[in-house]
Amino acid sequence: MALHLDRRHFLGLAGATASAAALAACGGPSTTGGGQATSQAADIDFSGVKPAAKIDFWSSHPGQSQDVEKSLIDKFHAQNPDITVNLVTAGANYEEIAQKFQTAQAAKSGLPGVVVLSDVWWFRYYTNGSIIPVDSLTKQLDMKMDDFQKSLVDDYKYDGKQWALPYGRSTPLFYYNKDHFAAAGLPDRAPKTWDEFGEWAPKLKASSGAQYAYIYPALAGYAGWTLQNMLWGWGGGWSNEWDITCDSTESVAALQWAQDSIYKDKWAGVSSKEAADDFSAGLTSTTISSTGSLLGILKSAKFNVGVGFLPGGPKAQSNVCPTGGAGLGIPSGITKEEQLAAGTFLKFITQPESTAEFSAATGYMPTRKSADMTAVLAKTPQIKTAMDQLAVTKVQDNARVFLPGADQEMAKAAAKILTQQGDVKSSMTDLKSTLQGIYDRDVKPKLKA
Amino acid sequence: MTSLSPVNPDPAAPAVSTPDPALRPDRPFSRRNLVQTIVGGYLPLLIATLVVFLPLLWMVLSSFKSSGEIVTTDLKILPESLNLENYRTAMTTVPFGQFFLNSTIVTLAGATIKVLLAILTAYALVFVRFPFRNFIFLLILVALMVPPQVSILPNFILIAGIGGKNTLWGIILPGLGTAFGTFLLRQHFRTLPASILESAEMDGAGHWRRLWQIVVPVSVPSIATVALVTIVTEWNDYIWPLIITDRPETMTLPVGLTLLQNSESNAAGWGVLMAGAVLVIVPILIIFAALQRYIVAGLTQGSVTG
Amino acid sequence: MTRQLAPHPSAKPKRPPGPAAKIPHRRWTARNRRDFFVFLAMALPNLVLIAVFTYRPLISNMYYSTLDWTLGSPTATVVGLANYATFFTSNDAPKVLGTTAVFTVVTVGGSMLLGLLVAVALNGKIRGTTFARSAVFAPYVLSGVGVGLVWLFIFDPGYGVLAWLLRGIGQQSPQWINDPQLSLVMVILVYVWKNLGYCAVVYLAGLQSLPKDVMEAASLDGANGFRRFLSISLPLLSPTTFFLLITTMLSSLQAFDLIRIMTPLGTGTSTLIYEAYLQAFGAYNRAGYSAAISVVLFAILLVITVLQLRFVERKVHYS
Repeated sequence: MALHLDRRHFLGLAGATASAAALAACGGPSTTGGGQATSQAADIDFSGVKPAAKIDFWSSHPGQSQDVEKSLIDKFHAQNPDITVNLVTAGANYEEIAQKFQTAQAAKSGLPGVVVLSDVWWFRYYTNGSIIPVDSLTKQLDMKMDDFQKSLVDDYKYDGKQWALPYGRSTPLFYYNKDHFAAAGLPDRAPKTWDEFGEWAPKLKASSGAQYAYIYPALAGYAGWTLQNMLWGWGGGWSNEWDITCDSTESVAALQWAQDSIYKDKWAGVSSKEAADDFSAGLTSTTISSTGSLLGILKSAKFNVGVGFLPGGPKAQSNVCPTGGAGLGIPSGITKEEQLAAGTFLKFITQPESTAEFSAATGYMPTRKSADMTAVLAKTPQIKTAMDQLAVTKVQDNARVFLPGADQEMAKAAAKILTQQGDVKSSMTDLKSTLQGIYDRDVKPKLKA
Repeated sequence: MTSLSPVNPDPAAPAVSTPDPALRPDRPFSRRNLVQTIVGGYLPLLIATLVVFLPLLWMVLSSFKSSGEIVTTDLKILPESLNLENYRTAMTTVPFGQFFLNSTIVTLAGATIKVLLAILTAYALVFVRFPFRNFIFLLILVALMVPPQVSILPNFILIAGIGGKNTLWGIILPGLGTAFGTFLLRQHFRTLPASILESAEMDGAGHWRRLWQIVVPVSVPSIATVALVTIVTEWNDYIWPLIITDRPETMTLPVGLTLLQNSESNAAGWGVLMAGAVLVIVPILIIFAALQRYIVAGLTQGSVTG
Repeated sequence: MTRQLAPHPSAKPKRPPGPAAKIPHRRWTARNRRDFFVFLAMALPNLVLIAVFTYRPLISNMYYSTLDWTLGSPTATVVGLANYATFFTSNDAPKVLGTTAVFTVVTVGGSMLLGLLVAVALNGKIRGTTFARSAVFAPYVLSGVGVGLVWLFIFDPGYGVLAWLLRGIGQQSPQWINDPQLSLVMVILVYVWKNLGYCAVVYLAGLQSLPKDVMEAASLDGANGFRRFLSISLPLLSPTTFFLLITTMLSSLQAFDLIRIMTPLGTGTSTLIYEAYLQAFGAYNRAGYSAAISVVLFAILLVITVLQLRFVERKVHYS
């Protein structure tokens, strides 16, 4: 009784395949026309709509913010007894929450009222038509938009509409070990430029006993974000508008300098998991990490922690700091009633008192100009540096935040340069062609002319 | 004779039937024999056992360490004290008790139904006349080749559409159809001697009685193997429960473990994660230790009893 | 991931033609009709479940693979075979297929070779083999998520015990996490650790089914023991080897949990299955393209299965 895989069986298999195809097609996307589904620019009219009684809030609790999120929700319930907000841990990080959100979109069910979206994801949701513009909600609920920090709220503007509101917003900060700096006879401040730090680093390494003078943030997830600092300082960037410029002379020079700091000058390393941990463990004298890590570092470090602005480069000494972190958006696939309830919660959680409380618990920046930070700053004066640095931030490169998967490609290219000592120019040329491919394939067709 | 047998189909190969005089064993307690036993016997076993257990031991030790003992360049092997803080953090951050209950329900219900379906289908395929039986078996064989990961999106759309999101049945249902168990049991049933079934048929026993009174009792080792593999698969299943649940109330242990990981700050991370890993790994390790005699014996000696 | 990994414990066919072969074709009698319904009652639930949750998704995937569809978007464009064309003409194909080949060949070869060595050691007539046998098999039943986390911590270049040991001898830890090639090495090592016990136990079953005098030859005692093992026992074990080759290859091609936990972004480890996952659920959201990669993987798995069946048939005919 041998099992014959003869032609008859295969024809039968093909027949079964064909007959099941119709069944299989249902439930997926519709293929009408081939037009792209960009979010409707038309405002939704919420007049006369009653808010829903219950919505979900999907968060990844950035900066270990679960407790403060719970506390904020309790306060919201006290003020708005008619709306119940259910806090859902929808992932361990921005990527997982996005995965869950996109899958829920595909299933057209189980969507939250409010979702945490990171700087690299909201635009995708916009092009997919997954989120609504919040303009009519902010108008109807009388939210003071001009009280938001301008650069933070402007990040979510596109096509004349506001697509999300800032929430756990951060910039990178330069963290340094004050004790190491004192021992090396260095001034008690962050370096003004990378070249200045290049002179300090050998002294630091010689006197501190730490493995590195500086550690680059873990490549997975952060390389694309923090390396913008160096690229900009050298006059380069990942892109200029939609022009991919990661292989320009300036960009290559910046990354060459980074590579040399590891392989030639041997005072820098690359973090494997979390640079903030390496810093607070004393593995390195300095690092760059999110403001969201500030409270964690202050808690676990057994030495004096200094923070400062990001260093500049030979071409640009200031405005070399990107903003980052997450905002909050409202899905399009839920009812108007749910959207209104979500808007009500959005108003509450972005109001000055809430953002101050959130900031105090995590180190993320307060998103409102009128947020009263005196109590917070009295306890954690370092947050002031982060707030001041906001004035000298620069909008992130399009290539990082608007190209799907670009962040991962940048991380891979950075790995080639910083951990395998790959040739900088050729790695960046490869990256450029990859990024250009993503742009041509996934983004360009969806952009409004 | 197309069975996927791991053992030699022809045990009486003539090439080796002549005894080799060099094979006569040494005296049991000679020094040479002793050294040989240790070097050739115990040493490899010891190394193999250590390679398995040292990582798990490290997991347990680390689960008692404070974040200060882990995030340091001055590592100590033993924790300063039997500090249960990490367990407390792990259990309060996420409801591990609930995860454990969910995993148990999913595993028990899923594995029971799967094994039952496998027995019934395999019996039908081997002993009940039906047109295109082999074609149906071929379809089952092909189903074995479909990686579960590629089914995620279509199945998610279906299950979420019928309200299975964040439910235990939503976790269990898509995995119930069992190509693997059916395949293994069918292969086994085909090796059963026809005579015992024929005599039962003469006695007027129907299929149902033939199945439960003859086929199942003589196939216990094979069924046990299928059951073990099914239980382990259900308990450890990861990607599907990860996709179909987002509330702790319905999460299983592996999904709950990933819930422990947080996004931007991981200062205390490893100790708590190791505590979580202990809570996921140790229960199955205990069950395995209790049943290992039967499990491994079933796997290795099946060929003798089959 | 353990789905098709179990050995077939009792397939040694002692009586060549099974009962199924003896039933001659008859006309549609009352008994046949009764059998027809008995068959449906017994097999239909399982077959329906397989059809709905295995075949339907497979066919959906084939359909999706012809679409330019962004996950999360309600609409898509039909593009025919463009996704396949893109995969095979871009950098993706050599990279992904290369990673898949390396991962599969090394994990299969590694776990089989080590499994065989362990099996030979376990086959000795000394005390403690039962315990050791269970011990080496244990990782196979453990959660990939838990095991992945434990090993990730061990390998951690900052605080892992491996880095600490290396510092002890004045070495820096390799960049297991950041360096794509080392990431692949790391995942392969852990995969082999988790699966070699399975190979060992199946090999052991094979060894113990050999005739007594052969087993003594296989115990590696005495002069020329190793050569005798190679020339006598190993050829006799070839059915076991072949069985393991196929089952471990199929499961390596579907390895997912460890890769997902240890290298979430697929740095250096994007095998076909993981690339398909990343393209749809990772940062790219190319659901159509991901479906095309899934179909390629399925085709490869199918070819391996067909080859296996062909091979088994021929082998049986000739022996």
